[in-house]
Order: sequence, then C-alpha cells, then structure tokens
Amino acid sequence: MVGWEYPPFHTGGLGVHCQELSRELGRLGHHVIFLTPFDLPYDGAPGVEFLSPGRAGNDEIARISAYGVPEFHRAAFQTLVEAYNDWVGRLEVPGANVVHVHDWFGTEGGARLARRLRVPFVMTMHSTELDRSLGQPHVPIFERERFGIRRADALIAVSRHLAEQLVRRYGAARDKVHVVYNAVRPADEPPRPARRGDLVLFLGRLTAMKGPDTFLRAAARIADDFPEIRFAIAGEGPEYPHLVRLSAELGIGDRVLFFGKVSEEERAALLRDAAVYVLPSVVEPFGISALEAMAAGVPTIVSKTSGVAEVIDATFQVDFWDIDEFASRIAELLEYPPLREEMGEHGRTEATNESWADRARETVEIYRELLRGGR
Amino acid sequence: MKLVLYLHLHQPWRLARFRYLDLGSGKPYFDIPRNLEIFRGIAERSYRPTLDRLLRLLAEDPEFRVSLSITGTFLEQAALAAPDVVERLRAAVDTRRVAIVAETYFHSLAFLLPPPELEEEVTAHLRRLRELFGVRPAVLRMTELVYSDEIAQFASQLGFRGVLAEGWEGALGPRSPNYLYESAAPGVRVLLRNYRLSDDVAFRFSARDWSEYPLTAEKYARWLASTPGDVLGLFLDFETFGEHHPASTGILDFLSALPRAVRSEPTLRWATVEEALQGPLAGGFHVAEPMSWADERRDLGAWLGNDMQRSAFDAAKKLGTLVRLADEPSLWTDWRRLLTSDHFYYMYVSGKDSDTEVHRYFSSYSNPYDAYANYMNALNDLRRRCLAAIPPTEPDG
Repeated sequence: MVGWEYPPFHTGGLGVHCQELSRELGRLGHHVIFLTPFDLPYDGAPGVEFLSPGRAGNDEIARISAYGVPEFHRAAFQTLVEAYNDWVGRLEVPGANVVHVHDWFGTEGGARLARRLRVPFVMTMHSTELDRSLGQPHVPIFERERFGIRRADALIAVSRHLAEQLVRRYGAARDKVHVVYNAVRPADEPPRPARRGDLVLFLGRLTAMKGPDTFLRAAARIADDFPEIRFAIAGEGPEYPHLVRLSAELGIGDRVLFFGKVSEEERAALLRDAAVYVLPSVVEPFGISALEAMAAGVPTIVSKTSGVAEVIDATFQVDFWDIDEFASRIAELLEYPPLREEMGEHGRTEATNESWADRARETVEIYRELLRGGR
Repeated sequence: MKLVLYLHLHQPWRLARFRYLDLGSGKPYFDIPRNLEIFRGIAERSYRPTLDRLLRLLAEDPEFRVSLSITGTFLEQAALAAPDVVERLRAAVDTRRVAIVAETYFHSLAFLLPPPELEEEVTAHLRRLRELFGVRPAVLRMTELVYSDEIAQFASQLGFRGVLAEGWEGALGPRSPNYLYESAAPGVRVLLRNYRLSDDVAFRFSARDWSEYPLTAEKYARWLASTPGDVLGLFLDFETFGEHHPASTGILDFLSALPRAVRSEPTLRWATVEEALQGPLAGGFHVAEPMSWADERRDLGAWLGNDMQRSAFDAAKKLGTLVRLADEPSLWTDWRRLLTSDHFYYMYVSGKDSDTEVHRYFSSYSNPYDAYANYMNALNDLRRRCLAAIPPTEPDG
C-alpha cells in the first residue's frame, strides 16, 4: 500500500480510508505493508506493517520529513515527494502480490515498483486535483495524478460521481474504474438520547471547496427564527479569517462558534450536541464526516454532488449553490421533531449498514480479478 | 357467478417545493403545470387507450359491464389537461352499463376527521357526479378501499346500498370473499375484492418470473370460472392498463380479449357493482378497526404508520377548525387538497420489503423526509393565512 498520511496524523478521508482498509485487510488474513514518507507512531493493527524511508534507513527523506509536511507548492515539498517516489520505486518487498497507491503522492514510485515485481498496479482516487483546486490544478500534482490514472491496471473511486470524472476529465478507461465507497466504524457508544441538541454543525477543512461560506449565509437567513440555536464551525483552513469577518457582516457573529481543529473526543461531543449536520461542499468526492454524523444519529443535509449522497437515502440533498434551500432544510429539521427523529434513526441504520469489512472485501475482489486476469 | 370489474381513477394535486423560507410569501402550494403534465402523460399511455378499448367492448358485447370510481381531483385535472378523457367517461356512462362509485371528492382520509367533513366531501363528490354524468351512485367506497363498521353506518345514513371492501382473510377468517355480505348497518351490503385474482392482473401480469406468465385472457377466464362463489370482485387501479403495465406488455390486448373469453365460460356473467348487490347474503361482515387494500398488513400504516405521517395528519386535522372559522373558498380548497391521502403516502419510510417498492413507485418525492417537510411548510403557511382571515371576535355587549 503506497500511502501518504495515516491516522492519527491525517487531515481527511484519505487517511481514514487507508487505515480502515489496511486494518480490515489485515483482519481478513492479508499482510499489508503500508508505505509512507513519515516515520511516525501510527495506530497499528494486526497484519499491518509500516515502512518509511526513516525506518528503512533512508536518511535524506527522514531529514526532510522531520520538519513536518511542507506546503504543497514549496520546493521542499516537491523534493520530499520525489525522494519518496524514488525510495518506493527501489524498495525490496519480496512476496508482494499487489501494489496499491492512494491519490497522487506515490504514483510514479508505485508504478515502477509494480512493474519490477510484475504485479498489478491499483490506484484509489479519494479526490482529484482538478476539484481541490476548483479547476486550477497545481501542474506537478496534476501530472502525477494523470500518470497514475494512465498506468493503473484498476482504478478505484470513492463514489460514482468521482468515477465519472475520472472517465470524463482524466480519460480513464471506463472498464478499469471501480467504485468502493467509504464507511464508518461501528460506534462504541449507545444511540444518542432523543433530545434535540442546540448546535447546527459544520465540520471540515475551511476551504472554499467545503462551502463553509454557504453554511454561514444559510445560517443568517434563519438565525432569528431559532434564537436558542448556535451555528458551530469545527475545522481549520485558509478561509478562517474570511469566515469570521463574514459572520460579523451577516450579523450573526454572536451566534457562530468557531472550534478550530477538533480531536476525536471533541468531535464526538459536538455530534452529541448537534441537532443538524450540514455538508455544503462545492466538491465532495465522498464526505466521510457526513457519514459519521449519520452514524451518530444526527440528521444531515448534504450537497447533491457529494459521494455520500449516493449511498444514503435518509438525508436532505441540496444543490451546493442554493443557499435558501440549505437554510430551509436546516429550519425544517429544527422546526419538525418527527422529521429529525425519523431521519436521524434511519440515517444511522443506513450509515452503519455496510462496514469497512465490506469495503475491504470489495477491494480484494478487484485484486483477485486482476490476478486472475494473469497480468 | 357475477363478475364485477371495477376500476379506480385518481390523481392527487401534488405540491410544488414549498420551502420554509417560502412561508408567508404567497407562493402557491400546488404545482399545477407539473400535475397537468403528469396527467397528460398518463392520459396518453393509459386513460385514453383503455377507455377506447372499454368503449369498443361496450359497443360490441351487450353483456359487458364495468364500474368506475373517479375522484374529484381527477376530474378537475382531466378538465384542464385532457377534456377528451371526461368525454370518453361520459360516453361510457351513457351506455348505462357502466356504474359509478361514490367516494370522497378529495380522495381523503376524512373518515378520521370530525363531522361533518366526511359527509361534506362525499356530498361534494355526489354533486360533481350528478353535474357531469347525471347519476346518483348507490355504492360507496372509501379512499384506498378503507372499510369499517363505522363507514358502513355512514353509508347507510347517506342512503347508499353497498360499500366496497378488501376481501382479506384478516377480516373474513375462513370465509370466502366471493359472496355478498351484510354490513353492520341495516340495508348496506358489502362487495369484496378478491385480491388474489385482482393482483394477478394488477401486480403479476407482466412479471416474467411468475410461474403463470404469460397470462392470457382464456387462462384467466378459466380461473375465474373455476372459482367457487356468487360474486367475484376484480377491483383494480385504472392505471393498471397502460401505465403500471405499459401497452407493450400486452395488457390492453388482454383487456380487449377478456369479454370474449368470459363469454366462452357459461357460468360467468358480468355485473356492475349495483347489479351485484342483488342476491343471497352469505352472512354478516364486521370490521371494528379500519382496514384498507394497501400493503401486506391492510391497515392504515401506509398513510399513518410513522410519526411523520401521524403528526402531519394531526396537524391537518387541527387546522380544520381554523379553516371552518375563516370559511374562505381558497382556504377550503387548499386545505382539502392537502387532505388527499397521497401526501401521507409519500411520507412512508422505506424498509427492505416489497411494499417499499410500491410506495417509491407512486411517490413524487425523492424521499419521505422531503415529502413531510414540504407538506408541513405548506400546512403552516395555510395556518397563517387562516389566522389572518378569521375576523376578530366582537367584544360582548
């Protein structure tokens, strides 16, 4: 498994997917060697082994990565990526049956490794550079992405929507593209009490792509009708200063809470207090946080184009640009208790209906198909 | 054996998206153009071709009979979207071999509302039927074939001689649905639907994995003839012909071929619902709790099964008091169109059962939550309008 980030040192769905997939593959009796450029104390699991240049004795990368992850556009970052790919490409991993890369980080090294080992090369796309950059891709990243998509024997997308993009915007061969959704880990906690929390929650990186701006504008339209409700934004990112200014401009400065980046425990506490969860992303290949909110029994409103909208029925789906509709949906959930309860209950059932173990089995099936194909 | 073919025609006024932010905006609740577009589509595929076939059968076969129920909301839409459908219905009734069945004008659950709502809705329907067709039906059906002793009492008070009900063993016990029964109300008889034989056509006709596929008119007539009893109730949704089963399945040809196949079975004789009321009684039919023809359980769960449905219906029920006080035509119309049972049907929450598929097929929303939220917004808006319209009470003295 050629990865990048891994919990607890992760920023998004990519890290969660890598961890859950590796762990379940381990549980199914497979041996996962997880490659990452960073030598960090990851959450291990039986059958999952971490290998990084530092642990493997490559001092140069270990030195670079020790400074933390640099900004993506910095030269130092490019150096790190190149060194990582170089290391991956030369690695000795006797007995490996499949090389599986996640996103663009290790496509070049992964492809070289797979060719040398004469094993299938699989690539999972969690999002695309075209989407992340809202159409203005950083060229070196875009190139690595396209290289991986061209070379992969099988491509996995985390939603149908994303799969379609790989075909249409990246020219991927349709018969190579598979969909394996994200899932949630079953909750350790008992179902939440029936009482309504008083938070309307946004949880995610504060980037234009996640639509926090829409969240605030929708909040402003209904804030006066629900004086007891507060609008919570949890996450950090470049949009933060703008969002603080915007909430003041909209006259709801006293109604919005900014929590910054939250820990697992804080996230769980926020979900316990949430009456409604909103995922207003402009672009959302999957939206694992929405699935987690549903699994916690919180009624959820998601963008129509999000991947999670493909797997969950008990949710409101809204066009990402439709601020009035987001506002109305939030208000409706606050206003009508039976709606909140039915959607919360059925959302939880649906979100926990399929597990990471199912996703791992689907992934293994893709490996098997390639191996049978006698590549 | 009397053969009663009874077909039900209904279209609801579906709501437009009425957002929370639309409250107080004066935006209309119902999406008239969309409703009429849907109506025209179904008229093209089902109403028109099926009525043409029925008219031809009535002209060719003097023994053929059919009974129809046509809701007030259907007639409203037909007048706007496809007046020729009303003309065809008139031509059918004019043959005097087509009986019309009365019901609530708005296809509502008015039997659960305080009086005089139910009586007013049935009376409104009777008035419309008299205007359009010049008839006064002797048989009543409740929305979705809901039946109870109380409904039979009501039918008796309004002078009906018969009521339609589901021939379900939950109410019949070991007795057969293929006989005429006496209701709990004096002078009112119950005609029962043979759901197995009805559903062979309604649900199974085009099912390729059905062991009896394909169903021919001859085979079906043989089944009917070999069924013991006095009266066979084949009660179907009119849209079975051409809509639920598209013409390409051969359903319309099946209908056209049926009277000829029936003629070759000497024991079978067509009858309208009214003609079928004559004859010996097989005993009493008593149903304390309302039962319907929908879903596996035949209760009211399809409309009032979950909290959303119940709260929406309760809210609509409560609003009735305000509508009555305000007493303005536009408020009455909007409220009663909101009582149409389809709105509650759309709020049914799915499970992984066969009923779910049926509910989805008929829903105009992507999910039950949309249906509920939208409905509640419209209802709350109507409440505001009622409150604004109610004249202030005169101070005493």
